[in-house]
Amino acid sequence: MKIEIPEKYIIAFKKKYGEDADISELEKIYIRSLVTPGEAVGVIAAQSIGEASTQLTLRTKHAAGLSVINTTTGLPRLVEIFDAKKDISTPFMDIYLKPEYSKSKEKAGDFASKIIEIKIGDVTSSYTVSLRKKEIMFTMDKALIKDYGFTVKDVTSRLSNMKVSTTLEGDQLLVVDKSADSVKKLIRLRNKIVNITVSGISNVSRAILNQNKEGEYWVKTIGTNLTEVLKMEEVDTSKTVSNDIIEVSKVLGIESARNLIIEEVRGTLENVGLIVDLRHIFLIADAMCLDGTVRGIGRYGLSGEADSVLARASFEVPFKHLVEAGLYHESDPFKYVANNIVSNQVIPVGTGEVKLVVKENGKGHSKENAGENKE
Amino acid sequence: MSFVFVNGVLSGTTDDSEKLVKSIIEDRRIGKIPKEVNVRYRKDTDSVMVNSDGGRLLRALIVVKNGKPLVSKDDVKLLAEGHINWQDLIDKGKIEYIDADEEELAFTALKEEDLTPAHTHLEITPLSVFGTQASLLPFINHSNAHRNVTAVKSVQQGVGVYTTNYLIRHDNDSMIAIDQQVPIVKTKMYDNENFNSHVFGQNIVVAVLSYLGYNMDDAIIINKSSVERGLFRAMFFRPYKVEETKYVGGQSDLITMPDKDVAGYRSEEAYKYLDEDGISAVNSHVNSGDVLIGRVSPPRFVSSIDKFRLGVQKQVESSIECRTGESGTVENVFVTSTAEGNKYISLKIRQDRKVEIGDKFGPRSGQKGVVGMLLNQEDMPFTYSGIVPDLIFSPYSIPTRMSMAYLLELIGGKVGALGGRRIDGTSFTGEKEEDLRKELMEYGFRENGVETMYNGITGEEMQVRIFVGDMTYIRLKHFVANKIQWRARGPIQLLNRQPTEGKSKSGGLRLGEMEKDCFVAYGSAMALKERFDSDKITIPVCSKCGMVSVYNVKKRTGYCPIDGEDVQIKLIEVSASFKILLDELKAVGIYPKMVLGSKV
Repeated sequence: MKIEIPEKYIIAFKKKYGEDADISELEKIYIRSLVTPGEAVGVIAAQSIGEASTQLTLRTKHAAGLSVINTTTGLPRLVEIFDAKKDISTPFMDIYLKPEYSKSKEKAGDFASKIIEIKIGDVTSSYTVSLRKKEIMFTMDKALIKDYGFTVKDVTSRLSNMKVSTTLEGDQLLVVDKSADSVKKLIRLRNKIVNITVSGISNVSRAILNQNKEGEYWVKTIGTNLTEVLKMEEVDTSKTVSNDIIEVSKVLGIESARNLIIEEVRGTLENVGLIVDLRHIFLIADAMCLDGTVRGIGRYGLSGEADSVLARASFEVPFKHLVEAGLYHESDPFKYVANNIVSNQVIPVGTGEVKLVVKENGKGHSKENAGENKE
Repeated sequence: MSFVFVNGVLSGTTDDSEKLVKSIIEDRRIGKIPKEVNVRYRKDTDSVMVNSDGGRLLRALIVVKNGKPLVSKDDVKLLAEGHINWQDLIDKGKIEYIDADEEELAFTALKEEDLTPAHTHLEITPLSVFGTQASLLPFINHSNAHRNVTAVKSVQQGVGVYTTNYLIRHDNDSMIAIDQQVPIVKTKMYDNENFNSHVFGQNIVVAVLSYLGYNMDDAIIINKSSVERGLFRAMFFRPYKVEETKYVGGQSDLITMPDKDVAGYRSEEAYKYLDEDGISAVNSHVNSGDVLIGRVSPPRFVSSIDKFRLGVQKQVESSIECRTGESGTVENVFVTSTAEGNKYISLKIRQDRKVEIGDKFGPRSGQKGVVGMLLNQEDMPFTYSGIVPDLIFSPYSIPTRMSMAYLLELIGGKVGALGGRRIDGTSFTGEKEEDLRKELMEYGFRENGVETMYNGITGEEMQVRIFVGDMTYIRLKHFVANKIQWRARGPIQLLNRQPTEGKSKSGGLRLGEMEKDCFVAYGSAMALKERFDSDKITIPVCSKCGMVSVYNVKKRTGYCPIDGEDVQIKLIEVSASFKILLDELKAVGIYPKMVLGSKV
């Protein structure tokens, strides 16, 4: 059998054993490491992670009171990753800073307090709504505003692009909306105003300063907004990460998302003391990122998009898939495990993958493969 | 001001809640208000809760005043001699019933020695913190609480004599142990509740060691010779109940010896135990498949042609046969009639249940296990004095469960057996471990209960001393004979030709989805196909339209109902369930066309 060893392995091999090392030794190692043709790698990957996660359910640690930020771990997090959920329950970012900021606690601390999102609702203590005057009156907490390091004007300027007139009377902020004709509308307006960001980065509700072994400061946040954070000049864009896979795939691209899936799954499993071979996780991450977007595993993801009708039908909501297949004249290639099991045929895996090659007229010639197809 | 609730209903207010609570309790003790009224002051809601309704669990406690129990030594003496009774003590306010709510106010001492002036109540006996069943377990105050719960659960499953008229009762799943013994280590509850005449379990010699690897985990080894001498032997009764139903139209079942012309007649051999009345003779030994009660029924479905046919319609045989895999002796037969006036027959079969591998046993300390091996007496280990244990228990079950009751009962049983007396193992008040050890030493044994033992197979002396003693074991109701099931060939379901499910239908063992995945992961495609071949069928398929067609096996020709005879018909092998899927798709209007390729 002729084998082509990828160049990077040859380089690494020569680097370790010298330029004139015996390449045939590398070939032996390479062949030994290859997966046998017909090996059911997907099922093995699923079993390797599935078996481990049955133990996970029993041993999910309750970290309450232990750490400052309580992140989702264990099985709930694994499910979140594999389902490629859009709204993860505890999004966070690890923001690393450029050397000039990371060395000083003061500068890093300033950065941390700068990025926390402060909404108008956070700096106002109460409000009243008057339909007669068509106005909403907010009572501002001036001491708090001063604490955060901005002025009342900063607050009012945020309202400038809304179609309302604002006036300041001492502590009171009066917002008049001429178009409002019901209390409901005014309250809706009030809810809108309360959620307007005054300073910081939206979605970042908390930022906690941490120090690593090298004495460098870095910031952990609750809530993610990679787009905004990466724009900031203090941030070391090469190291900063978020744990929101969908966001990473949009901001940094699909390769980053794949790496994040691998890292998150590995980290989650390691956290509870389970060791799963990385190559299983590689395979699942590759499958999830196959078409350039992150797809979950499940009815609306990988399993729901399989090109075999029977494979889809045997997974979930069979009737829907069968009827659609009938409507759109779909055909089932009978190439996979599920459909061959259903019809009691030999599955094309392992020993079932091996086919006879018939020589015709003494010349090597292989016939098309077997099985029946269904339309 | 605090609110007063009577049975949960707001009934008034009070300014001095403490005084109110005190006066209610005092009035109750002197008999001004009923004894079942309980009161409690709740600090968090600042309210007095008075309860007198039904359904509250009440608990009797001795009233304590200034650190002295009101029930004096004289009272106990009078009570023992029968001059006063329980009600007198309650009437005098010396013992009172309190409920869960009032318990919050009470400060109860377990023993009289523990009393301080702060105490308000005293337990009548320390044993009363346990229920009746837990009180039967020896030394459970030394065990983990969870073990005690498990112990009660396994004692509940014990096989004893559940009722003394079991011979004339026809209960389902009734089991009777043939031999019972009063435990060597008893508790006071055995005497109080007359358990000495309702005992279950047997006192056996137990050695705690690992032997031949057949008592791994929770498995136990039992001496086969002891079993042959009758150890833990039990009977199992199974009633078979039959009704002679009357149908609409005047027809009726008939309990009789079926005639040979009855539809579905078995063989003469199957009816050999039946008497003229159609019921098996008492004391006949029946095996599986033998008819116990012969019965013929009128034909179920009367077809239209049958109506015009002359003569008597053929009866259908519907006899009751002995269950598959079971055999036994006909114990007795009851013939009576139901409320509707139908003849009703109940026939009970007695089965002997010797101990076999897989049967479940347990002591009274939650260390239940199943038999892993039955060893002949000559293969069992023996002590210096020649004692051969009846049962070998694994020492690895002890440290993780921390069931000290097991070890204490073993020592206690040994002392009792040597001294010829019963040991009091009552919790908190039973005999002390130190005393038992001292007594054991007096009999010439090591005080910790270990003895030198010899390997029964090689005769070598064991390197360590083995903890051996006597204790009570109970046979639990889970017999392998009732549960064992296997199948090589057997009945299939009508619709999809898959094997039936369940033990009673001699069903197959399902190769489920996750098991299937293991075959796939292993890559053994052919073995997997063979496992799923149980519903394999061969269907002819038209190569033009791709639908199931017709094939004549004898003539080796076929035709397609759609495309006629001029098409090639191919035979393919699929599962019957797949053919059903194709049929169902056709039924909902989807055309499942099969395009066939060549096999090679």
